[in-house]
Amino acid sequence: MKRFDFFQLVQPLTEKLYSMAYALVPDDLQAEQLVIDSMNAFLLKEKKSLLHKDVDLTNKKNLQLLRRTYFKSLLRYMGDIGVRRSSQLGESSIVANPEGFRAFFGLDPKVRFVMKLRFEAQFNVEEIEEITQLPKYEVIEKLHNGRFLLLNDLNRGVNV
Amino acid sequence: MMEKNVYQKKIVPYLDGSLSSSEKAEFEAYVYTHPDFESQIRSKEEELTLVRSMIPAPLIAKDSLDSLENEIRESVLNLLREEPRNFWGRMKDSWEEWLSR
Repeated sequence: MKRFDFFQLVQPLTEKLYSMAYALVPDDLQAEQLVIDSMNAFLLKEKKSLLHKDVDLTNKKNLQLLRRTYFKSLLRYMGDIGVRRSSQLGESSIVANPEGFRAFFGLDPKVRFVMKLRFEAQFNVEEIEEITQLPKYEVIEKLHNGRFLLLNDLNRGVNV
Repeated sequence: MMEKNVYQKKIVPYLDGSLSSSEKAEFEAYVYTHPDFESQIRSKEEELTLVRSMIPAPLIAKDSLDSLENEIRESVLNLLREEPRNFWGRMKDSWEEWLSR
């Protein structure tokens, strides 16, 4: 695959990648940096297979399938890097987050990532398993915990 | 009653997409034959909509998006290249870079 073909494939994913990164590091610049770092890590690791891959980008269905595959691979790197980075940033990132969503950013980074994958990117449990490399029961547990804690926070807000 | 409890427990996994295809088909068949059950699914769906609204979906500013796309482009062009073997290899890379502008 040619370099520019690959860029054309991933370019439409930029906004989605940014949104996913923001769930891990709630800061504009940090999120942008996370997107770039995930892309670099992916390129360094997958360079050989990408360069030797023969693809037919004229076929629209093929193109969409390939784009989704790369989206998932990029998210896998983003999850790895982002969860670690989020833990390093700790509380400060939540306090600095101007948009609110404190309940969401109060969740464990892995839970936030799984919730985003399910509720925004619309991946099913098997795909989330593949992206996060977590066993199925952990994915389900994280979805359950995230949902429970968010709704709990909402109910607490109503009762106060 | 027992059967109903079993299917009630499956509402969230069904909406989560965590049921296997056979379980999903079984669940849908049950819902189809028990229309009263639909209201319970609807209430869970509303709960999930609420959860969705508590998850941020930030939008990136146009100029930030342009600059991020540029950085991605640079990364792709710099990292996704074979080491030029000779003069013609280097020419091919330069030509590809020029075309992608």
